[in-house]
Amino acid sequence: MNRRQFLKDSAALANCAALADVARGVPAAPCPVTLLPMPDYGRDLSKEIAAVMSADGLRLKGKKVLLKPNFVEAHPERPINTHVAVIASAALACLRLGAAEVVVGEASGHRRDPWFSVLNPSLRDVLDREVRRIDLNHGDVVSITNKGRRTGLPVFYVARPVAEADVLISMPKMKTHHWMGVTLCLKNLFGVLPGIYYGWPKNLLHFKGIDNSILDLVGTIKVHYNIVDGVTGMEGDGPIMGKARTVGALVLSPFSLAADATAARLMGFDPRKISYLAQAGRFLPGLRAEDLVLRGEKPARFAAKFDCPDDFKEMRGGPFF
Amino acid sequence: MEHPASGPSALFERLMTLSLPDGGMPYQRGNSSAAEPTLLAALALFASGVPPDRAKPLLAWVQNIQNPDGSVGVDPTHRDQGLWLTALVVIAFHHYGLKENLAQARAFLLSLRSVTFPKDPRLKQDNTLTGWPWVPGTFGWVEPTAWSLIALGVSGLREHPRAEEGARFLLDRQISSGGWNYGNPALDDKELLPFWDTTGLALLALHAYADPKRIKNGLDLMEKEQEKIGSLSGLSWAVLGLSSYGRDSGRLKTRLGEVMRSVPDAEFHAGNFALGLVALSGKKVFVP
Repeated sequence: MNRRQFLKDSAALANCAALADVARGVPAAPCPVTLLPMPDYGRDLSKEIAAVMSADGLRLKGKKVLLKPNFVEAHPERPINTHVAVIASAALACLRLGAAEVVVGEASGHRRDPWFSVLNPSLRDVLDREVRRIDLNHGDVVSITNKGRRTGLPVFYVARPVAEADVLISMPKMKTHHWMGVTLCLKNLFGVLPGIYYGWPKNLLHFKGIDNSILDLVGTIKVHYNIVDGVTGMEGDGPIMGKARTVGALVLSPFSLAADATAARLMGFDPRKISYLAQAGRFLPGLRAEDLVLRGEKPARFAAKFDCPDDFKEMRGGPFF
Repeated sequence: MEHPASGPSALFERLMTLSLPDGGMPYQRGNSSAAEPTLLAALALFASGVPPDRAKPLLAWVQNIQNPDGSVGVDPTHRDQGLWLTALVVIAFHHYGLKENLAQARAFLLSLRSVTFPKDPRLKQDNTLTGWPWVPGTFGWVEPTAWSLIALGVSGLREHPRAEEGARFLLDRQISSGGWNYGNPALDDKELLPFWDTTGLALLALHAYADPKRIKNGLDLMEKEQEKIGSLSGLSWAVLGLSSYGRDSGRLKTRLGEVMRSVPDAEFHAGNFALGLVALSGKKVFVP
């Protein structure tokens, strides 16, 4: 199947899923989403992030927290990865809220060498000394029964530090994705699975269907909070070869789909037209605009129209704000 | 922070402090033994020229988790996962003369095939070629194919049809302007970007197969850009790749030694460290 056909089928699925969502009446949940201005990476937003997380009811006192950024490849001139300044601010925010332990962990999808992800000196240099960094691609795992039914995989081999964390915080980069439309909090879950089991890239998940894999993971792995790095995102041919696009905001929410749907709208895409987001809306709250309680800055301030491959133009929507 | 270990033997002993009572080696301190760091540690021992008895616990650990079909997985509780690691098993068992285990492992490796697809004019790669996958039943990729090619080469099957096709697979996945990434040279007419580790590994794997003209771009790229390589893994593969073609890797070796001496405990990765020891030794571990 080529990409055009894949997208055509996905769009049809997405529409079906959106209709099914309405028909099945996923209970409306008030999903708080906060837009925090961050015009550039040269500032510490730990106080502001801590305040928002606290207002959202995230209790971290005495907890083990794992921050899961998105590291794929490292090319300094391209905004591919979650910026280290955002990770540092989030880590400090967790410490401010009394976390007993904060670790940054990632199983990078393309680069096996951990020097290009969490072990990079650029991250070490900005993190509080108390914060550990763990390469999730290599090391012990926990077999967790797959609660989804889409991939047919009986279990997921999840990096042990993820399974043992009390609180998992997903921290993706705001990017377009040449297979999935966008890559945000839900897609970021691929990075809890070690490459030593799944490979570089995690080709087994591609074979099982990227959307199926995302949805099974979403149904299996509990994410407690989400922070999308939309300070500088990537538009066009993401997630690697696209161009920088400044939005100037972090998107924070306890609800992964709410964060993703809001980020997608900020990018100029209708989340109901993005297959895996629409399908996630069948069992998660946050897809519909009416479910969201937007806080912080007015979203219109950050609204953008991300360039995207031609195949995804039909997923555009809005204006939303 | 400079670690107290400084000379080659001190580096070697630092690695061995991670050995566990079960005989194996974990990726990182605090983890359980895993096949890959255990195998690379055994190869580092071989390269260091220490008495083979010292490697016995490592090899016994691997022998104990070898499956009846000859394959070896990630660890004792996940014997059916990460079967591509069997390529490293072949290399280690060959060097230590474990003939029976070697024959079984090699038979499995020859049976492990990547999925192929008809040619797609939109893709700049030949998906009809068979390589080796990370996971059975999926596509072939640069790293498992390169390791398998090395394994067949050092263990005497350089001219096996699977090895020859594997070499064609790797050459096909080379990025036009030089080097390799994980295994897609281009997507939608856009050339993708090379990585140091897979470039060094692919160069090494092709040592016995490729016309030097076909891989000159990769060698030139790595030689020219060597100052940009900062990681232990990248430096190790650059040394191994360049030196196998007789290119100067002196400065890279110096920097590799510096990096290994200064790696903090919190960032210590036993597999990469063992690979670094192999690279520093200059011994032919990965070429026939």
